[in-house]
Amino acid sequence: MNPDTGTTTRPCGDACGTMPPCAPLAVPYVPFQQEGSQKYDQTNTLANGTMFPGLNLPFHLKVDAASLPANRSTQLQALLFVITELGLYLDTHRNDAEAFQLFQQYSEMARNAKKQYEEAHGPLTQLSAGQDAAYRWLDDPWPWEFEKNEGE
Amino acid sequence: MFVYEKKLQYPVRIKNCNPRLASVIISQYGGPDGELGASLRYLSQRYAMPYPELKGLLTDIGTEELGHLEMVGTLVHQLTRNLNEEQIKTAGFDTYFVDHTTGVYPQFASGYPWSASTMQVTGDIIADLTEDLAADGAMA
Repeated sequence: MNPDTGTTTRPCGDACGTMPPCAPLAVPYVPFQQEGSQKYDQTNTLANGTMFPGLNLPFHLKVDAASLPANRSTQLQALLFVITELGLYLDTHRNDAEAFQLFQQYSEMARNAKKQYEEAHGPLTQLSAGQDAAYRWLDDPWPWEFEKNEGE
Repeated sequence: MFVYEKKLQYPVRIKNCNPRLASVIISQYGGPDGELGASLRYLSQRYAMPYPELKGLLTDIGTEELGHLEMVGTLVHQLTRNLNEEQIKTAGFDTYFVDHTTGVYPQFASGYPWSASTMQVTGDIIADLTEDLAADGAMA
């Protein structure tokens, strides 16, 4: 629901948002993102750095999204980035039932992807390290490590 | 509290070192509009926030910025691995190396150490949010 108008209509285009019709002076405003905004799928969300085409404002006229390798690691990163993006959106649009439903679906997918990732690559958190037969938390690589030719 | 997740938010896989680039990118780590300042700005400003939507937003953005900090640190680390003597003497990186070798130190590109003087927490939510707009506009 739009907090300014109390409606669920979309008076503005997808790359635009609503503003209060009468606003206190001397306060800066940011347009309010409308409910039902267009969304990318998870791979394009990660590649573009936002889930929302309307918020995709590339700098220096760079319009092509990065191409990412399709592996278990990036699939997990994509799903968890959607959780981050949708979570931020829901922080300010908590009554958007459609977005919350999508959040629930992605949350389930992300939980499954985490489980699969951990089975293949070891624990993501110390909590899950307790589920293994041996202590694998210290296993290389750590996230900042990437050896030349790794995975090629 | 915070729980570490052993993964980056976005893949960072740099094959060729580039110390000159690292000496510029370090500003996004500990510079005046870098990720360290961003995370501390949001996570410190939230205590004055009365609205649940924005308590959540400042917490969640501040947390994400810590993930960005880790990615930028990773960039600097991978850009400065296995340098030979000539590469260490690269103009712009030589002055960094003499103090920090290839450690990742939060500093401006100019060499000035990260400073809380680059951010503000006023306790006035409109002032703080306005500062956030300027800061996040600068860092994109």
